[in-house]
Amino acid sequence: MQVTNSSTAQMSSPLEDYLETIYLLVQEHGFARVKDIARARDVKPATVSLALRKLAEGELVNYERREYIGLTQKGEAAARRILTRHRLLSRFFEEILLMPAGAAGEQACAMEHCLTDVAMDRMVRFFEFLGNCPTAIAAFHRCPLGTRADACATCSSRTDLGSRTLADLKPGQRAVVTQINATGALRQRLLDMGILPETPVELERSGLGGEPLWIRCQGARLALRRTEAATIRLREAAP
Amino acid sequence: MIRVALAGNPNCGKTSIFNALTGAHQHVANYPGVTVEKRTGVCELDGEPAEITDLPGTYSLSSYSPDEQVAEQELATRPDVVVMVADSTQLQRNLVLLVQILQTGANPVLCLNMADEAQAAGQKIDLPQMRRLLGFPVVETVGHRGRGIGDLRGAIAWAAGHPVVRHKVVLGAELEGALAAIRTQLPRAAATLGEDWTATRLLVEDAEHTRRIAGLAEGAAAIAEANRQRVRLETVTGRAIPVFVAERAFGFVDGLLREVRTLPPRVDARQLTDHLDTFLVHPLLGLPMFGLVMYTIFWLTFAVGEVPMGWIEAGVKGLAGAASSLWPSGSDSILRSLVVDGVIGGVGAVIAFLPNILLLFLGLAFLEDTGYMARAAFLTDKLMHRFGLHGKSFIPMLSGFGCSVPGIMATRTLENERDRLVTMLVLPLMSCGARLPIWLLLIPAFFAPAWRAPMLWLIYTVGIALALLLALLLRRTLLRGDDAPFVMELPPYRLPTPQSLVIKMMARATLYLRKAGTTILAISILLWAATSFPKRATYSDPGTSATPAEVEALHASEDLEYSVAGRIGRGLEPVFKPLGFDWKIVTAMIGAFAAKEVFVAQMGIVYSIGDSGGGAEGLRAQLARDYSPLVGFSLMLFLLIATPCMATVVVTRKESGRWRWALLQLGGLTAIAYVLSFVVYQLGRLVG
Repeated sequence: MQVTNSSTAQMSSPLEDYLETIYLLVQEHGFARVKDIARARDVKPATVSLALRKLAEGELVNYERREYIGLTQKGEAAARRILTRHRLLSRFFEEILLMPAGAAGEQACAMEHCLTDVAMDRMVRFFEFLGNCPTAIAAFHRCPLGTRADACATCSSRTDLGSRTLADLKPGQRAVVTQINATGALRQRLLDMGILPETPVELERSGLGGEPLWIRCQGARLALRRTEAATIRLREAAP
Repeated sequence: MIRVALAGNPNCGKTSIFNALTGAHQHVANYPGVTVEKRTGVCELDGEPAEITDLPGTYSLSSYSPDEQVAEQELATRPDVVVMVADSTQLQRNLVLLVQILQTGANPVLCLNMADEAQAAGQKIDLPQMRRLLGFPVVETVGHRGRGIGDLRGAIAWAAGHPVVRHKVVLGAELEGALAAIRTQLPRAAATLGEDWTATRLLVEDAEHTRRIAGLAEGAAAIAEANRQRVRLETVTGRAIPVFVAERAFGFVDGLLREVRTLPPRVDARQLTDHLDTFLVHPLLGLPMFGLVMYTIFWLTFAVGEVPMGWIEAGVKGLAGAASSLWPSGSDSILRSLVVDGVIGGVGAVIAFLPNILLLFLGLAFLEDTGYMARAAFLTDKLMHRFGLHGKSFIPMLSGFGCSVPGIMATRTLENERDRLVTMLVLPLMSCGARLPIWLLLIPAFFAPAWRAPMLWLIYTVGIALALLLALLLRRTLLRGDDAPFVMELPPYRLPTPQSLVIKMMARATLYLRKAGTTILAISILLWAATSFPKRATYSDPGTSATPAEVEALHASEDLEYSVAGRIGRGLEPVFKPLGFDWKIVTAMIGAFAAKEVFVAQMGIVYSIGDSGGGAEGLRAQLARDYSPLVGFSLMLFLLIATPCMATVVVTRKESGRWRWALLQLGGLTAIAYVLSFVVYQLGRLVG
């Protein structure tokens, strides 16, 4: 257990599980009893009492024999933190890695205790990104697992990753530049020619056999090769 | 003397402004160390003399191409006035270069050229407003018609007396803050190109500038600050710095144009250019049409060029006759031989090609000025790229069928040095016009009539195939490197003015004649000496039945054998034996180095028939008697590939800037020729 928060610094992962269980029971019924906890965690009541005593020492629960058990303010915060991790992780295993719900929950339980706050923070951001970028996760789900690396090379230049480039346009199509991935002399050349983010471009024609491309940008006609055009990312032009 | 520099994008009509300002008073030279042309001219501005330098046309001052480096270096010499010529129909992109020029701290005049075209498209510019906003003179011109040139002269003269102290470029708080932070760290000695420009280049990690500043005392602090600012800006903007800087510059131009452009150009009108392009670069018709255009130019070059060529040859002959009549007839004077055979004969042979060269360059200038050349590169790029060449290599190589010399000179249209070198090095494999007389002599001598046309075709094809293969080989070995970007602007079609065509053509002619008068003259004298000395004192007895002509022919033959060239031929005979060549062929090949067609004349001398013109039949019969068709084929292969003529070697040296490339071309091609001829001859003998 590597949590940096001082209140849970000495807490072991079974104790965190108890805290979580108590929190959920309180949420559901308004109170928690030793036998409820023992049933939920599938252990003997004596074991629960032992754990409760330890939690009370850490001022996380209000525990008196034969009484309902409540969480202190400190205990509730700790429990909520653990639960958040649990939910994020189980969503990750279920929705992104496509594991069955039960297995995803078990996996989340096993992992939720060993993440540092920093790692957790980064994971939250990553989940948020995946949530906001449906094309990225869709591409991952469409990709048959265990794909060979050479198949990846052909895939990444295609349109279905949400990465349409100038090389993907058909004659007569228009789009707007979003990004220029070239470097060095080529990038400078493209910029000099007025190919910048947010500039509209149109593919007018291509040479015999599709090479080179003939585009129109800011009123000028430009010729460039496919490999060079593939460094220019596009989005749909406003209709 | 006011020093004025003309800067601008390619195709902005800068040259027509230059011509209009300077008239005929111009001088073409090379920038030292690079092969970019430097044109200077003089004119009067309000009674004061001015020297005008035409900078190479560039899209920006970033130091990625030799053109751009030259333009930047020239600005670093601090001209009194920098005239920025902009294409009025493309102001958006053209004015980005103005932003960079302003950053260098130049004292500018803005010249909005092709104003008529822009007005025809509906654009209106509020000039007084533009002057007010920019703080320096802005004039509208139509360069090729000479309109507005008076205004431009006045503006330059005024600007020379009123230098701009601080430019008014606005690039936004973020970028300007970063530049200001770098500026404060710049060492004093760094400012030759303006503090703003230097700071910008450090910010975008320009290799040249970073190296220059790193070499200065206290330069490290500026570079460290630039690195800091770069990281900061990249984090804030989420863009690569060069992209961000370009966006800010375009943004400034956008804002400026919004203020001064009272009417924008109509965008909807499909112009004449687009209509022409629908069939000139048609996927199927484009290439055949290009073939037709090139065929017409070559036909003009050779068919029309032949007439004045005849006059020049007659003139040279007349001159030789006149010169030799200064000596008593039958004189053996060495001086006479030097003047008549060496100087007049050698240089005359080269000058005879002048009409061809003029016509070819007239045709190429026409293609260039109309804008068709860029389309030709578009059409041929795919094929050329497959062999590691560039679309723009095609026309120089095609010119090589006429003569390698103008072909190599035409490689100037290639911007990338590597592409230029490859094209230049393999270009002599295009069977040039001077080699045609050789094929016409050798093929009928060794091959039956039915085989003659296929043999000629085979020779040309072998040359082309070898050139492409060698280009591929060079790009994979000596001249390895990433492909130069093929990002090319296709300018609208324009009708060239006769004046600009003539000026372009004359510039080539001057360069060519100057070379004929210097290098070629020297080598001609050397070769003349090699074939004339030492003199033989006695000759063998021709027998009593010999006619005087036969006696003279025999003497000529023995003289040759005794001369340095003859001795070299004899000395080299063992080397060339495995190829099937004897000393006579070797001697003639030495002559062929002067000019390929000399081979025919030299064989004539060796075979004691005198002038080959009248005796080709006799010479062919003798060749057929002495050598097998296998030797003939081996010989043709060797002459096709080996030793480009001296004019080619010299021009390669001049255009590549290094002897090493010229010598590589000479040695490499000769070695390949030797190996191929060797293999063909030895295999042929085995087969029987």
